[in-house]
Amino acid sequence: MEWYWALATLIGMVIFFMALGVPVAFTFITTNIIGVIIFYGSTAGWIQIADNSTQLITRFTLGPVPMFIMMGALFFHTGLAIRVFDGLDVLFGKLPGRLCFLTVAGGSLFSTLTGSSMANTAMLGSLMVPEMQKRGYNWQMSMGPILGTGGLAMIIPPSALGVLLASVASIDVGKLLIAGFLPGFVLAGLYAAMITLQLKLRPGSAPAYDVEMPPVAERIKLVCVNILPMGIIVFMVVGFIILGWATPTEAAAFGVFGVMVVAAGFRVLSITAIRTAVEATVKVGAMVFFIIMSSTVFSQLLAFSGASAGLLKWAISFDISKYWVLLLMFFILIALGMFMDATSMMLITVPIFFPLAEQLGFDLIWFGLFVLMTFEMAGTTPPFGLLLYVMLGVAPKGTTLYQVAAAAFPFLVCDAILILMMIQWPQLALWLPSLMG
Amino acid sequence: MDAIVKGYNHALHGMAALAGIVIFAAFAMIVVDVLMRIVGLEPFVFILTTVEYILLWFTMLAAPYLLRIKGHVFIDAVTQFLPPKIKWSVAKLVYILGITACLIYGYHLVILLIESIQSGELDMRSFEIPIWILFLPMPFCYFMCAVEFCRYLIGIDDMYSQAIQDRENV
Repeated sequence: MEWYWALATLIGMVIFFMALGVPVAFTFITTNIIGVIIFYGSTAGWIQIADNSTQLITRFTLGPVPMFIMMGALFFHTGLAIRVFDGLDVLFGKLPGRLCFLTVAGGSLFSTLTGSSMANTAMLGSLMVPEMQKRGYNWQMSMGPILGTGGLAMIIPPSALGVLLASVASIDVGKLLIAGFLPGFVLAGLYAAMITLQLKLRPGSAPAYDVEMPPVAERIKLVCVNILPMGIIVFMVVGFIILGWATPTEAAAFGVFGVMVVAAGFRVLSITAIRTAVEATVKVGAMVFFIIMSSTVFSQLLAFSGASAGLLKWAISFDISKYWVLLLMFFILIALGMFMDATSMMLITVPIFFPLAEQLGFDLIWFGLFVLMTFEMAGTTPPFGLLLYVMLGVAPKGTTLYQVAAAAFPFLVCDAILILMMIQWPQLALWLPSLMG
Repeated sequence: MDAIVKGYNHALHGMAALAGIVIFAAFAMIVVDVLMRIVGLEPFVFILTTVEYILLWFTMLAAPYLLRIKGHVFIDAVTQFLPPKIKWSVAKLVYILGITACLIYGYHLVILLIESIQSGELDMRSFEIPIWILFLPMPFCYFMCAVEFCRYLIGIDDMYSQAIQDRENV
């Protein structure tokens, strides 16, 4: 079979089964079963696919995924997240749009402590939207910053999706995680600039209100007590990886340990909180791992059928700039993201896009971060961007999907600006990983 | 019949609970491993491999439970626009596909499990471990997933009844 027919058959089957509503993991399993009959010519290969499905899942490098989920869940369920907000709240005086800036600052900090953009968006949404509504913020200003900042968890370490991407694409997990650190905070800065611009254009959209500010000494104490201990946890995760003191899995486990110690220090660590965090880990971690497991053989089928190699040869045969190919990959990911979640998109595109990016001369760590940025954008793209629905779930009654998507749009522009900055200055993403040797 | 259903439900929830216990144990083992290294003690050689195996066991133990609680992510971008009768038929087709796929995987995993026990093959990692331990939870997982799809097929529950904002993901 020609490579393009093989590619169309395999990708077509995945999209067809997904469109039918088959759960993503079972979509890959069904495709593998049929794919073996088509490309091996018999059912004899079925035992091989059952055997091969264990290959990727039993890698120590995947360990950070459940650990980051547990860490984020503990952070939320022990109430430490609220303390961070309380600490930050006293830093912002009486200024217009203070709750928007607080969202960006708090959301960026949350992102360094949780690996899930959905959890981050849900947390920020449920915490900030009611307060913003009470203070007379309009719907654009109350939802936009939350949607933008919520997605930061995808790129700022610890990112569970980053670990998955690095494992599936066989690139260095630690380097990809660290690569997101600087661009993540630059993006937070761009969000703050966007809020300032919006406030200039529509001054009444986020009115200033009287805030009772505690004395300076009290404020310093609140910051030290509520924010500094979190800094130690961030160091345990990010610092340990950069300094080479621990592998990403070990650093992630220490992150969980750190949250437990801090929570115990505040006397908020309880059996209920640990149990809820473990439950969240089972629900999200096992679901994602089951998809990864089922998709392992799919990547092998793409290679065995000649689809990956054929597409690669064809794509590099054109005499066009590599940035046009990058743009095409960007639009494919955004289009897929309109209908499917990031994990599914990743498993379909990684076996094709990463070899292509390597052939075109892109640094794979840089490219990994580009893909994560695109996932973040796709998550807030209508009609089915998952973060839009998470926001809709916590927004006031009567809010429409159009309003949520419109509020997110200016922040999507910020994401696009960051991607352009990364193209212009690749060191923005690659400098920190280069320190790791 | 009631006793069988009750026993099966206990097994389903018990496996999910065990998934939580093993993943927490993995976390504890990694922390102990690093702490031992920091204080200059020789870390246990079995920890790395055990954690790798736990990642698979954790996934397999939880998968049927996740199917029960509608925790496996799916896309309803197309089906939500279908008329109710067609939507119902498509859902039944999905359940049949799920049952078939799980039975095929489950059957071949039983063969793999029996062969690995008979051959006594070892998995060479940081320490040697009989490979059947790797395959042990897998047939149970797939057969139980087939049972869960059967529950949906005969109309005990509807897999598509969960609102999109209640779905969880990374």
